[in-house]
Amino acid sequence: MNNPSPIRLHKQLERIWMTPPGIGRLSSVNHTVLGKRFMVVALSFFAIGGFLSMLIRAQLATPHSAFIGPEIYNQIFTMHGTVMMFLFAIPMFEGFVIYMLPKMVGARDMAFPRLTAYGFWCYLFGGMILIGAMLAGVAPDGGWFMYTPLSSKPYTPGINADVWLLGITFVEISAVTAAVEIFVSILKMRAPGMSLTRMPLMAWYMLVTSGMMIVGFPPLILGSILLELERAFDLPFFDPTRGGDPLLWQHLFWLFGHPEVYIIFLPAAGALSTIIPVFAQRQILGYRAIIAAIVAMGFLSFGLWVHHMFTVGIPHLALAFFSAASALVAIPTAVQIFAWLGTLASGRPRWDIPMLYVFGFFFVFVIGGLTGVMLAMVPFNSQAHDSYFVVAHLHYVLVGGFVFPMLAGIYHWMPHISGKQSLYRLSIPAFWLIFIGFNLTFFLMHLTGLIGMPRRISTYPSNWGWDWLNLLSSVGGFILTMGFCLVLADIVLQFRFGRYFRRDPWKAQTLEWATATPPPSYNFAAIPRIDERADGLEPTKIGPVSAGGFGYLGFARNDDQETMGVDILTGAPEHVIILPRRTFLPLWTAIATASFFLAMLFGQYWLAPFGALATLILFLFWPVTLGQKQDFGPVDIGMGEEAVLDVECTSNVSILANRAALVMNATLFSSLLFGGLFLLVVAPNWDSITPLDWPLWPAGLALLAAGLAAGTSWVARRVNQGGGAAGTLLAITALLQAVATATLIAMAFVLPEPTAHARQAVIFALLSFAAIHCGLGALMAGHGLWRLKQGYVSAKRQTEMVLAWLWNGYAAATLVTALGLVMLLALAGGGQ
Amino acid sequence: MRRQDMRALVLLIAGFTIWSLAFVLLYALQALGCAYEWGTFHRPVLIIAYLISLTPLVWLAFRRPYDSGEPQTSLSIAALWANRAALVAGVLVYLPVTFATACI
Repeated sequence: MNNPSPIRLHKQLERIWMTPPGIGRLSSVNHTVLGKRFMVVALSFFAIGGFLSMLIRAQLATPHSAFIGPEIYNQIFTMHGTVMMFLFAIPMFEGFVIYMLPKMVGARDMAFPRLTAYGFWCYLFGGMILIGAMLAGVAPDGGWFMYTPLSSKPYTPGINADVWLLGITFVEISAVTAAVEIFVSILKMRAPGMSLTRMPLMAWYMLVTSGMMIVGFPPLILGSILLELERAFDLPFFDPTRGGDPLLWQHLFWLFGHPEVYIIFLPAAGALSTIIPVFAQRQILGYRAIIAAIVAMGFLSFGLWVHHMFTVGIPHLALAFFSAASALVAIPTAVQIFAWLGTLASGRPRWDIPMLYVFGFFFVFVIGGLTGVMLAMVPFNSQAHDSYFVVAHLHYVLVGGFVFPMLAGIYHWMPHISGKQSLYRLSIPAFWLIFIGFNLTFFLMHLTGLIGMPRRISTYPSNWGWDWLNLLSSVGGFILTMGFCLVLADIVLQFRFGRYFRRDPWKAQTLEWATATPPPSYNFAAIPRIDERADGLEPTKIGPVSAGGFGYLGFARNDDQETMGVDILTGAPEHVIILPRRTFLPLWTAIATASFFLAMLFGQYWLAPFGALATLILFLFWPVTLGQKQDFGPVDIGMGEEAVLDVECTSNVSILANRAALVMNATLFSSLLFGGLFLLVVAPNWDSITPLDWPLWPAGLALLAAGLAAGTSWVARRVNQGGGAAGTLLAITALLQAVATATLIAMAFVLPEPTAHARQAVIFALLSFAAIHCGLGALMAGHGLWRLKQGYVSAKRQTEMVLAWLWNGYAAATLVTALGLVMLLALAGGGQ
Repeated sequence: MRRQDMRALVLLIAGFTIWSLAFVLLYALQALGCAYEWGTFHRPVLIIAYLISLTPLVWLAFRRPYDSGEPQTSLSIAALWANRAALVAGVLVYLPVTFATACI
């Protein structure tokens, strides 16, 4: 294709990719817009969480304080932790990554723009539920990790705990959708030529983080579902008097909760690995060692969760496992710290605002890491457990490991977002206020903890030596807040009065600075080819060439939002991805999802299925306008090369995303299996049960139907590949899965007394899980059939056929496993 | 993608995937042995599982990286370091099966 003039090309692309003004803003699916929205909302929640912390410090400033009573105090400290972890830290880095990642790797958007929008709305609505509950005085009050039995119905009879369980699960939809998107976008949507080992380190960090999120979030989601089932329907998963175990909640929570710390830290470390080389004026030292360290951290962080449970009474051997792993994870962290220090030492460092916050990070995070090693030691942990020492440690790690790098990142990348540079130097006093205020607040908490002050108490006597330490901590807290207020003022001033600049003001060497600033909606008028490591580029040279339309896809074709799909490892051009355009569907779908969660929250259980059904129906509308009704073969992609469209490529982003979603789903299922086995082996009150008097033969029927469905979906795919008619086979698949689903529902329906014992409750959960997945198998087969009839499927365009096989094969596999555990549980007990 | 390409990528996470599986296996064996009172068999079972788990980690830790060109070579060098870290983590984290009390 001939290249139009740069201005004309810009206008053509802008018309295709832009977000309309007015009410049309709500239809935006653009990653730049949504990334900014995520960050603005996250920073608003940060302000709310910060305000709550001020209330906490006002209450604790003096002994015998009557500022707020214990009931409100419980809500405030619970909401402070919940808001900071779930509504600020995770969404903030999601927003940053959604905004920045495509620009860093040379894509025009994320892999699933509408999913980004849906995730944003779920985050916003879920967060509003939590804040609304707080304003209504019914906020969660059992601590941000919601330990049972305190959060169980007998001890928290109001909706406070339900607000947490349902609100957080709603919010976490945004995390799981972001995880899949980030994973797929990094692997498949880089600029041509950018092999895995040419990616900027930020992309490596985010690749590992997204993998951790795919495996890390499901245990929390499962735990929340089980606890809500217990609270709403009296299924006793955590009730020890009926065969449940409160420790199961702790395991499920911390299986998520500890990796979560690294999920928050790794993106921040990615930002540091990007910023430090810019100011050291040399490429990062130890690129490959850092990749190995990130992988090591990603895995090791899943082997430490029990260090949050050292005092619950577990055998020495298990303590030793988790203690050793907790200490060991400091090593890959140290590898990165030394790589950053080495980069600075061997470069020509220049001091500017972001480097102040990098210094703050080093100071604070290293102290947090060292106290982490102290807490990894069981004897010390037993002494310091639930004391203010732990509060100090976690703030040093999280503020050091996330907030300081975030501030460095804000000052580094704000010019990219605003298109302006700061004229004022408010950021320097802001830094010192934050640095001094933070250390004054939290360093002293180590001491209050060591002299015995437990966390979460609303007041304390005056003769235990805690008075002056608490007073100084409170003073420090207010200094810290003043620092953040100055940062806010600085950001506003930069947006309002900042100075315009030419491309790449910091002389950075990564691709995001090759876009115009602020960036256009499509990022790159033409996607550049990357033939060297992408942290050693010259954005000032790449930018004008790309803006001139020289590169891949440097044209507007068919009003389609096109970007490149590449080979995972080598980055060779593979296919053209056509992304869906703006639509209100994500908003409507999120509203329908909200209706489900609100119905559950207010105990209107009859209404909840309608909300779920509405969500499902709206999701079915999503693919209506997507796809192609004919085979086009290879099309022009610029640079004299050709590639097929995504629908004609079997390694496209949809298939990869579904594989990732299945891994996530399998993790949730594994957590359920773990829960069932844990209760069977460890929980009390299982000695007196007898084998269930319950017909097991329908299980064989369900298994047969689901197994045959998996087989027919596989044959359907093969037949379609060979050019044959696969419609009948898909119809048979859907029918067989419907039979399996109905059988499993019937089995659950006649299960004797699911509320009597955790054994029946787990069986009920397993059957429900299997029924839902057989139902999904039927749905995917039906969807494939519908797309086939519409003409969207051919021997070359086989995405729907692959998805039908994947989901039906998975449904059969989970059913086999679930029924195995159901048998084991049903036959458990021989006494009486 | 060529077959060797996939191997370079898989190698990067192979060591720690085995480390994770060993973690689950040993933690499960510890719990099962205590719940079902395996008595004197418990520690030998744990030690055997420990040694079996280390075998593939040792093999991965001493595998030569690919020299078939980029990006496989760089990736397999990073993989080698990650796999050596997995071996060290495996030896140290699971060593307590040889001496720590399993059920108290």
